[in-house]
Amino acid sequence: MGAFTQWFNERAPGLGAVYKKHMTEYYAPKNFNVMYYFGSLAMLVLVNQIVTGIFLAMFYTPTAAGAFDSVQYIMRDVNWGWLVRYMHTTGASMFFIVIYLHMFRGLMYGSFKKPRELVWLIGMLIFLVLMAEAFMGYVLPWGNMSFWGAKVIITLFSAVPWFGHTLVTWIMGTFVPGDPTLNRFFALHVVALPLVLLLLVVLHLGALHEVGSNNPDGVEIKKHKNPKGIPLDGIAFHPYYTLKDLVGVGVFLIICAVIIFFAPSVGGFFLEHDNSIPANDLVTPATIKPVWYFSPFYAILRMIPSKGLGVLALAASIVALFLVPWLDRGGVKSIRYRGLGYKIALAIFAIVFFLLGCIGADLTPGWIVSIFGPNADITTIENLFGRILVILYFAFFVFLWVYTFFGFERTRPVPERVTTHA
Amino acid sequence: MADDSINKGRRRFLTASTAVIGGAGLIITAIPFVETWLPSARAQAAGSPITVDISKIEKGQMVRYGWRKQPIFVINRTPEQLQWLPKQDPRLRDPHSNEPQQPSYCKNGHRSIKPEWMVLIGICTHLGCVPDYKKKVGPEPFDPDWKGGFYCPCHHSRYDMAARVYDGVPAPLNMVVPPYHFVDDTHIQIGVDPKGAA
Amino acid sequence: MHDKTFRASMRTLTVLLALLVAFAAAPAALAEEGGYPNVNVNVHDKASLQRGARLFMNYCVGCHSLKYMRYSQMAEGLGLTEQQVMDNLNFTGVKFGEPIVSAMPEADAEKWLGKAPPDLSLEVSARGADWVAAYLKSFYLDPSTASGWNNTVFPNVAMPFPLWQLQGEQVAVMSPPANGEPATIKELKLAQPGSMTPAQYDRAVRDLTAFLTYVSSPDELVRSSMGAWVVLYLVFFTLFALVLKKEYWKDVH
Repeated sequence: MGAFTQWFNERAPGLGAVYKKHMTEYYAPKNFNVMYYFGSLAMLVLVNQIVTGIFLAMFYTPTAAGAFDSVQYIMRDVNWGWLVRYMHTTGASMFFIVIYLHMFRGLMYGSFKKPRELVWLIGMLIFLVLMAEAFMGYVLPWGNMSFWGAKVIITLFSAVPWFGHTLVTWIMGTFVPGDPTLNRFFALHVVALPLVLLLLVVLHLGALHEVGSNNPDGVEIKKHKNPKGIPLDGIAFHPYYTLKDLVGVGVFLIICAVIIFFAPSVGGFFLEHDNSIPANDLVTPATIKPVWYFSPFYAILRMIPSKGLGVLALAASIVALFLVPWLDRGGVKSIRYRGLGYKIALAIFAIVFFLLGCIGADLTPGWIVSIFGPNADITTIENLFGRILVILYFAFFVFLWVYTFFGFERTRPVPERVTTHA
Repeated sequence: MADDSINKGRRRFLTASTAVIGGAGLIITAIPFVETWLPSARAQAAGSPITVDISKIEKGQMVRYGWRKQPIFVINRTPEQLQWLPKQDPRLRDPHSNEPQQPSYCKNGHRSIKPEWMVLIGICTHLGCVPDYKKKVGPEPFDPDWKGGFYCPCHHSRYDMAARVYDGVPAPLNMVVPPYHFVDDTHIQIGVDPKGAA
Repeated sequence: MHDKTFRASMRTLTVLLALLVAFAAAPAALAEEGGYPNVNVNVHDKASLQRGARLFMNYCVGCHSLKYMRYSQMAEGLGLTEQQVMDNLNFTGVKFGEPIVSAMPEADAEKWLGKAPPDLSLEVSARGADWVAAYLKSFYLDPSTASGWNNTVFPNVAMPFPLWQLQGEQVAVMSPPANGEPATIKELKLAQPGSMTPAQYDRAVRDLTAFLTYVSSPDELVRSSMGAWVVLYLVFFTLFALVLKKEYWKDVH
């Protein structure tokens, strides 16, 4: 082993240096808590999606006539095909669970703040590409929800002024989603977007390791170093965090395995019932809704009573997240030492996001009936409720700027060194 | 950070055992992925046995069938063709069919169940071309002493009337005889062994 | 101290992830009922699946295909031999490895019924087992339709009731029109008993639904038993990783 390492290092000294820089000599704060598992878990899911995706692509047929049959071929005729596909479909949903928690962590501990704005921006780009990737993957099985989801989401682009309708036809390649749409989505889903995603992940990590990781206390560990230049509150990523993340991976895989083997459709949330019906361009499913991870954004679209404004609000809801590093002018990073206003605002924001998701997933009509009785005016109540939520969603960003820009925030003193407590 | 209280032996043991358990898990996980490449249920259904009617095949005639997308040759050999077989032995690479290129019930001088009926997968054992059936006895450009058999146009491999390969040609083995049995006197089922034969 | 933090964070991680999954699953579980009585099928009951398959092959396959299911795969799932399936369950004479397709040509079906009978391979995935069972119990005589049959779960369905000899003939009992609103169906009453008692017919419907549930996702039969082993392994692995992590984190003060 030693001889080989020497042989290798003589020929590729750069690789050893890269390994050192990012693993054994990358010093991360020693006080990471549970919210810091989701970065490595996201990488794990990405690897899972790539490996299972490569195998699915070996058996899938990207044509309108063959796609649905080929998915059933994978599920029934290909040896272990069901396992590979359930790993991929479960992975898709788990990807978003993990990413949403990862983003929420960033908001909690101010990981988007100077000097980590670039890390946040690249992360947001990853999120954007991931949404495109997930949407196109969702279209591929060519079930009835795939078809109508594709049609509705592509038609969103018709809200673009002047050439909107041309744009829609250009994306579809026909006048309703069909073979050309499926072919290009397949190419983008399995080749182009994964490449972009991988590149962005490398940049995300590169940018992070340049400035160093934030932590639950929001203090910069590089301020206090020992004579060798190692941060006093830092520990080597490898072995300490690789081993810690391994435990997180174990727990995460247990949850994934329970889903894959015992409830792969998660009651119609990870795999929708209406997608068991082949695409039918004449029959719209009874309840048309996007898959759960898009539902908060879909609710924003649906609650605005104007097509143009709705699409604009949808776009704005994502753009606002990009702008967070510049909207938040506060000097303190971690929620532990921030003003009460930020704590309350972030909690409300998370709840609003979740409730918008429930509206988008069409769960609210049932709730309204059970609260207000069977004769309730579902649409009016839902719209009222939903529009309040939309306003609250955007209010978070406005509040964040006003609260910090005009100095309303009363922060607590930030410690010099990291703290660790249970 | 390294202090004297570190129990290196314990660390090594735990690292090794976790690596072994994790590695075993990874290998077991790889098995399903590898097995996706095995023939699917559809491929297996397409490879199910075929039954052919041989009543119309005349003496000396060869008919081709498809089984698992491979050419199956069925030849109704003449007594004269059969009579040449033992005389070719000295010129052959494996005259007694010692290599397992045929089911055990076809390991005999004529490589078949009934002497006159030759059933084989018509694929040259060199690089997979389909040989020609050359039944005419007499000098040929590729063999001045041709007694009838199969000739592969790709790299000039030659086989006798029992698809046994001649010595001195690129093909290493006799052509394969598939499992088959006689359903009745005029029907052969290819892909299934006779009852009682393994 | 770190140890405590770590243990607390592992707990939180588990709770967080479990909560998220529960959030997704709980409303789904409620939604899945869809207001139909729970039919309680058990796809691991091979005898029930076999009875269901027999019903399907006797009453359904004449018009409906299971084009994604092969006879050979069904034999495996139902625990039957090739001989048993070919003798008792394959009436169309196709090969053992072939899919279960209906004997009725699609064009004829459209001519006779106005609409080709749908393939039922994924019916339970699409509509749920409870819907299928409720549907099969909800046919009633209705002279106003072309077939003479109607259905309370699927109004104006094109299909005439194929199991009428088993269940018998139900008729609709109307509630009297009130407040100027049109009369509605209050309940269905068995007017003419069939060859089965209501309890027997319920069991037959449950068997048939169990069979269709199995056909919708045949992987379910292997999945759950395999899943237990996978989870067991992962728990074992996680425990080792945990001990290893703790050993190394002794360095961190």
